[in-house]
Amino acid sequence: MTVDHGSSASTVPTGRPWYRRLGGRLPTVLWLTVMWVVLWGDPSPGTAVAGFAVASVCYSAARLPHIPVRLGFRPQHALRLVLHVGYDMLLSSVRVAFHGLWRPKRTRGAIVAIPVRTDSDFLLAMFSGLVSLVTGTLVIELNRNQGVLYVHGLPVNGPDGPEELRAQVRRTEELLVLAFGTAEDLEVFRLRAGEEPAGAAGERGENG
Amino acid sequence: MTAVDWVTAVLLTLGALFTLIGTIGLVRFPTLLGRMHAATKPDTVGLFLLLFGAAFQLPDLRSAAPLALVALFQMVTAPVLAQTVGRVAYSRGETDEEHLVVDELAEAVERARKDAPDDVDARDR
Amino acid sequence: MTVLDYVYVSTFTMLGLGVLFTLYRLVRGPSVLDRVVCLNAISVLVVSAIAVEVAVRGDTAYVGLMVTVALLGFVGTLTAARFAERRAHDRG
Repeated sequence: MTVDHGSSASTVPTGRPWYRRLGGRLPTVLWLTVMWVVLWGDPSPGTAVAGFAVASVCYSAARLPHIPVRLGFRPQHALRLVLHVGYDMLLSSVRVAFHGLWRPKRTRGAIVAIPVRTDSDFLLAMFSGLVSLVTGTLVIELNRNQGVLYVHGLPVNGPDGPEELRAQVRRTEELLVLAFGTAEDLEVFRLRAGEEPAGAAGERGENG
Repeated sequence: MTAVDWVTAVLLTLGALFTLIGTIGLVRFPTLLGRMHAATKPDTVGLFLLLFGAAFQLPDLRSAAPLALVALFQMVTAPVLAQTVGRVAYSRGETDEEHLVVDELAEAVERARKDAPDDVDARDR
Repeated sequence: MTVLDYVYVSTFTMLGLGVLFTLYRLVRGPSVLDRVVCLNAISVLVVSAIAVEVAVRGDTAYVGLMVTVALLGFVGTLTAARFAERRAHDRG
């Protein structure tokens, strides 16, 4: 932080100057305003101002906690992430659909433990959201203390099934960290990815 | 029929097919979690395709923007619902063990119980 | 009728069949969570049908309706699922 904390900052309980507090909340309010304008379907200045006013009032009335968002953004990896997730969604939808039509009674699932390789709350939330969005995978439980994700996957075939499921989910995680992680997140990711043997990923983190 | 109409026709048909097959899976899968996978996710893909197809019938990009909002909304809410239902299903024990190849969560819970009986119950989060 | 009209009719038919299948599962159960999932599936199907209607009419007058149905479906499903969890805890 290079911002000079002037004398006005001392009046703010959180220790951050008012313009930074406002700045942290501005993106949310702007986003709400954009939604308002889109739903009105009329991008006139009056709509925008009214939307901004309503968004500000609602946001201040809700008194949401301020969560510091620290994200990096690497467009080329973000594009890869979008393509990967989109491909996954389509492909696994077809797979689940196929199993639903053809012998659904013999379809097996599995719940596997997947140690996560990031500490960022924000990345973790996005990660579990993405995993649950893709057909056939679903986060059942998230153990925040040990950093383990328990994922249910649906068409799991053969002895390699659980490993394939794990590999698919970990690929999503890798791309997500590459796309949106800060430099620190990347470092943590590389550290954790380096300290575990590739095959025995599931054994880590459960003995804490 | 113009090229745009053909795009709409293909996308709408595909979208409706995804949705329909998803609901067939909802009827046919023997386990709760299987039904949940079949019901929520192909529906989402189907809705995306339908919205995309519908967007081609609109006069301009501006009027198509609200459709993107609906897609975004579905993308945000679908995982939340799936996760909640999955967690509740597990905590109620409705996961049908005979259809699971492995259940590493149950193993972890068992281990946690053995190590410290009064410690955190991993299911109870 | 053009090809697109046939597509509209078949799309609506497929969505209607989907609602029927979902209703079957809704009645059969057997678990509360099955019914919760079915209710959500029906709300998504309704939103899908409105999306097709938007394509038929070529204007977005119904988008507010879509957002409302999706929102109600989401909140309702979430509440019902959480309620099912609460009941399980009370019993156990």
